[in-house]
Amino acid sequence: MIGEFEYLLITAAVRLGEEAYGAAIRQEIEATTGRRCSLGALYTTVDRLETKGFFRTRMGDATPQRGGRAKRMVRVTPKGVQAAKDFYHAVTRVSQGVSWAANRTESLS
Amino acid sequence: MSEAVWLLVSFVAQLLERDEREAVRGDLVEAGESAWPALVDVLGLVVRRQAGLWKNWRPWLAAFGLALPSTFLLMGYSLSVSQTYQHFIGPTILKTTGLTLGPGFSLLMCNVLLLIGWSWTGGFVVGSLSRRTVWVSAALSCLPSLFCLARFRVESLSRFCLLLFLVPAIWGLWRGLRITRIKLSSALFLAVAVTALTVPTWSGKGPWIPNWALSWPAWYLVATAGRPIWLLRKERNGE
Repeated sequence: MIGEFEYLLITAAVRLGEEAYGAAIRQEIEATTGRRCSLGALYTTVDRLETKGFFRTRMGDATPQRGGRAKRMVRVTPKGVQAAKDFYHAVTRVSQGVSWAANRTESLS
Repeated sequence: MSEAVWLLVSFVAQLLERDEREAVRGDLVEAGESAWPALVDVLGLVVRRQAGLWKNWRPWLAAFGLALPSTFLLMGYSLSVSQTYQHFIGPTILKTTGLTLGPGFSLLMCNVLLLIGWSWTGGFVVGSLSRRTVWVSAALSCLPSLFCLARFRVESLSRFCLLLFLVPAIWGLWRGLRITRIKLSSALFLAVAVTALTVPTWSGKGPWIPNWALSWPAWYLVATAGRPIWLLRKERNGE
């Protein structure tokens, strides 16, 4: 089972699609969670997910708005999508009946 | 001030792999990050990366099993070589006439070759074992060097004779960082030569038994000579 931050990363990368790379994923996570995402946590988790076979990464093109530096592009593999689905189902199932999840998970049972 | 911090960011980022450094610095520019948060971010990533490397046994072996103890032993051996030179050759050369090179000269040559062999193979193995933590191994070599240099009390010799091992060790380290392993025939030749050269030291004075520990890097090179280069590089990068 993947962890919470790994789930956030996979979900952000899927949402960004072809435009998934370090800075964009970081911005997406910070915007949706309201929490600061450090580059250290981001890149070490990207590596871990790649080792597990959930991500594939490659170096993209350099762009002027990045000072002529390349992006590390991320693509979620089908195995990564499945891992995120499993995590999501586990969280929603375990949340059924608890007060903070009322009206959100009833339909899943 | 912020320019100085950005310089520091660039310096710290040198500890990252080339591609990662490129991506991280690009991300910082794109996000419009200011200098101090950028430094904290890069430092955080470097610390995590370095910590990750130390989960592997190779950096430990390179730094604490080889660089640190070998530096002490090689400094001792450098001193021994200098004393041998002073004892057998120095006076002969000073006489200027009737230059005779007796058994002392062959012993000195053995010692010099052995010092070069031990230093080169030790440096090579440190470089090939763990490229990304080599700065820790280098720092661990500097500490005993500075310690001994500060306490050197032999009147007739310069304190820098302790550092005779340094040039071949740096040469070996540089080669180890670049090529990771050497051919089996070369490795075997080196290991046999180094081992054979230790034989004359048995009869000499001084603690020669610990010096045997300096021969294992040569045999390590033999053991790794047959392994595929991609596997060695993958292992040393802790992947």
